[in-house]
Amino acid sequence: MNHAYVSVEGIARRYPGATIFEDLWFGVNRGEFVCLVGHSGCGKTTVLNILAGLEKPSDGEVIVDGQAIEGPSLDRAVIFQGHALMPWMTAEQNVAFALSCRHKDMPRAQLRDAAREALERVGLTAAADKKPSQLSGGMKQRVGIARAFAIAPKMLLMDEPFSALDALTRGALQDEVARLVSEADQTAFMITHDVDEAILLADRILLMTNGPDARLAEVVVNTLPRPRMRATLHKLPGYHALREHILDFLITRSRLMAQGLPADWNPRHAPEVRPGA
Amino acid sequence: MLIPFWRSSLLSLALLILFLGAWELALRSSAATGGSVVDAEYAALVGAAAAQGGQTPMPMPSEIAARLWQLLRDPFYVRGTNDQGIGVQIAYSLARVGIGFGLAALVAIPLGFAIGMSPLLGAVLNPFIQVLRPVSPLAWMPLALYTIKDSSISSVFVIFICSIWPMLLNTAFGVGSVRREWLNVARTLEAGSLKTAWRVILPAAAPTILTGMRISIGIAWLVIVAAEMLVGGTGIGYWVWNQWNNLSLADIVIAILMIGLVGLLLDRLLGWVAGAVAWQE
Amino acid sequence: MTRPTPFACGCAMPHQSGFACDAPTDGTGAFGAAADEAVLRAVFPAAPTRRAMLATFGSATLMAAIASVFPLGHAREAFAQTPAAPEKRDLKIGFIAITCATPIIMAKPMGFYERQGLNVDVIRTAGWAVIRDRAIAGEYDAAHMLAPMPLAMSLGVGVANPIPWSVAAIENINGQAITLAMKHRDKRNPRDWRGFRFAVPFDFSMHNYLLRDYLAEAGLDPDRDVQIRSVPPPEMVANLRADNIDGFLGPDPFNQRAVFDGVGFIHVLTKEMWDGHPCCAFAVPRSMVQTQPNTFAALLRAIVEATAHANKPENRREVARVVSAENYLNQPETVVQQVLTGTYADGLGQVQRVPNRVGFDPFPWHSMAIWMLTQMRRWGQLTRDVDYKGVAEQVYLALDAGRAMREAGIEVPASPMRSYVINGRTFDPNDPGPYLAAQPIRRN
Repeated sequence: MNHAYVSVEGIARRYPGATIFEDLWFGVNRGEFVCLVGHSGCGKTTVLNILAGLEKPSDGEVIVDGQAIEGPSLDRAVIFQGHALMPWMTAEQNVAFALSCRHKDMPRAQLRDAAREALERVGLTAAADKKPSQLSGGMKQRVGIARAFAIAPKMLLMDEPFSALDALTRGALQDEVARLVSEADQTAFMITHDVDEAILLADRILLMTNGPDARLAEVVVNTLPRPRMRATLHKLPGYHALREHILDFLITRSRLMAQGLPADWNPRHAPEVRPGA
Repeated sequence: MLIPFWRSSLLSLALLILFLGAWELALRSSAATGGSVVDAEYAALVGAAAAQGGQTPMPMPSEIAARLWQLLRDPFYVRGTNDQGIGVQIAYSLARVGIGFGLAALVAIPLGFAIGMSPLLGAVLNPFIQVLRPVSPLAWMPLALYTIKDSSISSVFVIFICSIWPMLLNTAFGVGSVRREWLNVARTLEAGSLKTAWRVILPAAAPTILTGMRISIGIAWLVIVAAEMLVGGTGIGYWVWNQWNNLSLADIVIAILMIGLVGLLLDRLLGWVAGAVAWQE
Repeated sequence: MTRPTPFACGCAMPHQSGFACDAPTDGTGAFGAAADEAVLRAVFPAAPTRRAMLATFGSATLMAAIASVFPLGHAREAFAQTPAAPEKRDLKIGFIAITCATPIIMAKPMGFYERQGLNVDVIRTAGWAVIRDRAIAGEYDAAHMLAPMPLAMSLGVGVANPIPWSVAAIENINGQAITLAMKHRDKRNPRDWRGFRFAVPFDFSMHNYLLRDYLAEAGLDPDRDVQIRSVPPPEMVANLRADNIDGFLGPDPFNQRAVFDGVGFIHVLTKEMWDGHPCCAFAVPRSMVQTQPNTFAALLRAIVEATAHANKPENRREVARVVSAENYLNQPETVVQQVLTGTYADGLGQVQRVPNRVGFDPFPWHSMAIWMLTQMRRWGQLTRDVDYKGVAEQVYLALDAGRAMREAGIEVPASPMRSYVINGRTFDPNDPGPYLAAQPIRRN
């Protein structure tokens, strides 16, 4: 944990009269893919926003690369839950806008080429000149992904990026992201409540108790071998045990643990489990 | 069901012809009823209707059309300070509206931006805006004349003051309701505040701002006619007043038509711009 | 009480500090000095000279010296200077599109301004209040005003602050009329007019005062028995037509226009009420006399000459043609011609021939101003007593007009005061008190 790229140290989000989550400690290592899983209301999105620098925690801090974060950074790209594309820009312009922020002096033509290239990597060459309103939901999210990858961030933050998509599209995009992340050896942090998505993508899965006053209950290490493919995932040894463990947590333990944590539970070192290993 | 354009146009035209025809016929038949006969010398000194014991009637559409033709054949002549073509007058009015509206936009859009971005500033300025906004623009005229001491600048000021509110409020609203996620995108991309304002907030708020501008130009065009009637000098409003002076109703009907058409053109112009900056999700 | 010092006022006008800028006191003492000042100014047109003389001799000595050479006409001629170049050549003069403005208007196309080396733009203006406001704002160098307006402005009546303006010349005499709606063609006796709604062009107008006097002489209280509204002249005919008013005492060409359009008939010409009454004036800011004396003199010469030209019966048809154009009155030529020639349709089927229906005489009689002031007082526009004669002398520049008239070869009256018969009652300007007191209907 000492060599973690990101180190989350005791962050909390409190509002007058309500605490959303409290005393969160975890790390994300370089090249690691971490998923945060929990029910609605446990403050997952807030955790991601704090990592992105969009919000400040009520307490604690986040250290990235040895430095406490002060605000948003190009080094931590966000793929938003909604696609968050600017509707007045074409797909290409959306990506080029991000690129122009990364490369302030890049000439227009070069920005254009780089944007096309980024769209090509997600298979959207044909849609480059279309406005978001002319694209399907999946295509829009692909543009969002292309935009995030285009600026070559040190870390990718994803807030339930596929939750608004139909199952088929979601599957295709999950494979796409898995491929892109492994190609770039990308450090990534993702929020989801889709257990299979977490199992497919994550190296470690953080489980949060129900809110309010949510805590990090345990860290599940995903020992399933890579490369993983959606089609064959369920055939991998240990898959079922892992899935059972997480589902069990989400169905029962997340609620029970919200009422009372085990006596030996240490917020700084949530218990690490390796189901099926 | 979609009604074909040619069909509705044809019906509009028929309605117009029917209306004008009824107008013409009604006046022609009333003019035919002669009254007392007076001597030739007296008749030469008064209008045709008065010579027959009647009153000069409303002009007929045919008379108005003839006058319109006469005016439009040479719309841009200038024969002295008080006698200039209708095109020149419209140009004066448009120039005043253009300057007043342009200045209002220069003030309202940045200020609206600031209010939209800063809820505090919005709350501070809100009472003033709410009190000043419903004031009839012409109510400012005496104050403007008294302080500015120039009637032409005063009418520009009146245009300025009446066009500022819709633009200000719409800009503030448009900027204030820019989606948080777009702003977050800009923040995570470390886009500077200028770049965010220019590339994200402005285009996002543009349709709302344009709606405000469209309302403003409509009001400005309404008000300039009244303002020019009040202070005189030049402009289509003054022209109306002047023809009223001469009791020339044909000219007033023509002026109404012209004011309507120019107003429509202005609205279409901004409508076209609004279409260009519109976006849909 | 110390006597106010001349030239002491902050407005930089050479008037008594007790006049115009402060609320006037009872007046008599203060306005005596104002009269002296007017005389001094006529004798020594250049301000520095005048001040030097005053400083050297003192006011009383100087006035005594001048009094010895009175009447001033001779003194003026002795000091007359050859016309010097105008300080300002490009001038804007506002006018209202009525025949009263004839000299101001025609001086432009007929070259009277040009002959005096002036480049004048005459600007048609929307109404009396607008002309007053533009004049105050300095948009106009001089203006066509109703004869009582400069009096009211100088006294601070009807305006926020006293604005010193002067009547440099009267434009027209007579030339107004009471026009009634056709439906009243049988009600020719004003006693039958109870409940009528009348329009006049402005509160501070001869029209208002003449109508009120005419009604009062017929036993009608103009504030109680009838309604009198201020209506811009062009709208009078339309209002008459729409039956919003029963009649109006208004300027021409609108009386004649009502006849032309078959809307009304001419009940009586104002000439029958007071023959030779003034109506409109050529007004200048009082500062112009001081700061641009040559421009003022040139302008006044142009106006006086134009007025004389317009007054000649043989010129009237041509003048009618010139001023009725779209650039000026914007009226059918026959309407203006009927007004100026006095051969007109009366609206009742008769052709009337009254050659002096309207006349043009530039001389601003002080006695005219005094009558107007009595009427302002009578009807409550002026709520305090003022020195009528003093005010008249200061606002009505009879000396300057007289000089310009003499230069143009027009006979100048020996005194700016004379008495009148107005609606059958004799008015003595030297003793207006009894005239005012004898009025059966008044508000003061």
